[in-house]
Amino acid sequence: MRLLVVEDDPDLNRQLVDALGDAGYAVDSASDGEEGHFLGDTEPYDAVILDLGLPVMDGVSVLEAWRREGRTMPVLILTARDRWSDKVAGFDAGADDYVAKPFHMEEVLARVRALLRRATGNASSELSCGDLIVDTSSARVTVDGKAIKLTSLEFRLLSYMMHHKGKVISRTELVEHLYDQDFDRDSNTIEVFVGRVRKKLGIDVLKTVRGLGYCLSEPDDQA
Amino acid sequence: MIKRNSLSVRLIGAASVVSVVLLIAAGLLLSNLFTSAVERSLDARLQAVMDGLLASVELDGAKPKMEKALADTRFEIPLNGWYWQVSALDGDPGKQAASASLLDERLPITQFNTPDRAAGAGEAGYMSDKSGNMLRVIEQRYTLFGSEEQYSFLVAGNFDELQAEVSTFNNALVAVLSLLGIGVVAAILLQVRFGLRPLSALQSELSNIREGKQERIAGDYPVEIQTVTDELNLLLDANTEIIERARTQVGNLAHALKTPLSVLTNEAGIHGGALGMKVTEQANVMRDQVSLYLDRARRAARAKTIGSVSDPNEVVSAIVRTLERIHKESNIKVDVRLDPGVRFRGEHQDLEEIVGNLVDNAFKWSEGKIAVTVRPSRTPVDNRISWFDICVEDNGPGLPDGGAEIAKERGKRLDETKPGSGLGLNIVIETAAMYGGQLNLGRSRLGGLEATLILPAVSPSS
Repeated sequence: MRLLVVEDDPDLNRQLVDALGDAGYAVDSASDGEEGHFLGDTEPYDAVILDLGLPVMDGVSVLEAWRREGRTMPVLILTARDRWSDKVAGFDAGADDYVAKPFHMEEVLARVRALLRRATGNASSELSCGDLIVDTSSARVTVDGKAIKLTSLEFRLLSYMMHHKGKVISRTELVEHLYDQDFDRDSNTIEVFVGRVRKKLGIDVLKTVRGLGYCLSEPDDQA
Repeated sequence: MIKRNSLSVRLIGAASVVSVVLLIAAGLLLSNLFTSAVERSLDARLQAVMDGLLASVELDGAKPKMEKALADTRFEIPLNGWYWQVSALDGDPGKQAASASLLDERLPITQFNTPDRAAGAGEAGYMSDKSGNMLRVIEQRYTLFGSEEQYSFLVAGNFDELQAEVSTFNNALVAVLSLLGIGVVAAILLQVRFGLRPLSALQSELSNIREGKQERIAGDYPVEIQTVTDELNLLLDANTEIIERARTQVGNLAHALKTPLSVLTNEAGIHGGALGMKVTEQANVMRDQVSLYLDRARRAARAKTIGSVSDPNEVVSAIVRTLERIHKESNIKVDVRLDPGVRFRGEHQDLEEIVGNLVDNAFKWSEGKIAVTVRPSRTPVDNRISWFDICVEDNGPGLPDGGAEIAKERGKRLDETKPGSGLGLNIVIETAAMYGGQLNLGRSRLGGLEATLILPAVSPSS
């Protein structure tokens, strides 16, 4: 899951990026509206955390521009001006949720999880596939009740596949959604990661679709 | 109805006084001119008689005698005020002759006895005869052929007849001038009313602005007033701008304070420990204080804006739309009933805060159903102006008995488990009170809380 944080305050920006990174997301950041708009328009983010009071181009304009250009990713707006008119303007521009400043980081994390779940059509924060259960709120992975330890990149890969269960995901798409923009992308490493995750899970849910990519589905013997 | 210190009274008063004085002066002048014209023409007629008299009087011894009677029969009718008389200056009855109208009377000539009168020089004057007629008299003195003695030739006309003519004229004059005066005053009234009409138009524009039916003074005015209306419009704009600026400053302050507070809270959360907990605790206190004073400053900045009107239907729709998106997953059904005729006599943003807090509250507690109704008030605060209700109902648990009073207190929360700062209802009450409005809490037909907000409306007549 790859996220974009658009926030002009450098400290708050860093805290958001760190907290979201710790929670297992690939995170890009922008510090003004124009940069944020450009990134959101060109990179395939799974969700965006957008401050409304931004320099160069304000948050509502950025959001309106994205929606006009057909970008549908869920957007969580952060606003210090918690007047209703700001909320109405934000939601009318196409926001999916809002958090008023000052906020606790846990609240932002919870809202982001909910947005991602909603966007992929999952009702609960627990995603399951056969014996495999991934709890996105606690980042716990279990197979048949047994906890599995994954690195953050491995967790990111598994949770992206879980969110898009049953769909064929190309290697390029995986690369785009797992790494932030500063990462040295090499699609070969994806194969290595997929291999490691398969090995750690010990069940056959991550399948290779030859020439197309990967697909997560129930193990064959149960399907 | 008409106040003494008004432009109309000043204009009408001044113009009327001047007109009346001028009319009276004109009347007096005309009357005098007419009287003297009539007098001159009488004198001319008397002079003609005098000339005839001079031509036909001869002396019979010492007694003057008419050779032939005068053509004018008025001199035959007794004591009618038309007379002629020729008499010797010594007053000897034997040396006199007079018109038949004088009978045996004789008019005195002593009043014409001025010293050093040249022969033939005329005198004129007034006297009355035996029967009380006022007479206009001209007199000349001549020495008649065949005598050394001077004779007084006197012709008198009835001045009362002339007076009647003059007073007929004067009556007509007064009537005509009075009519003219009334006409002039009426014209002045019309003129003043027409001339001052732009002022009353301006007055109604201003009262419209005060009542919030419009924001600026519109329309073309005469140049003299246009400068004033232009200035007033600039003043109104400046007023709006000052409020707008104050509001922006408050918003900026909020932004400036809240972002560092977020940073502080989060940093403290990451580091943990005793210091971290203390910082978190204090940051929370600061956050509440910031909200409280920002809220006050915001309201102080917008208090007493004249002339704002907002559409509660629009506000309710926007708030419900927004909250439905925020609570997308909860599947709450909102029944919105609007009344397109209702307008709030107040600020759009204030209404947004009030409605936002109430409906947000309903969303927090609702178990699937909410009803929001905008309608003309069923329980108006008073009868001086019109009021409307915004009624927000939910099917949540509602308030326990006696909970209404606690719920209204600042910072009091009946259920600490639901998110919120406890400032919501208090903001609603304080803001509503600013407009003279009220908030009533009760039990809804849906089963939960019914919050009815009563706010001033713009009267439906407009």
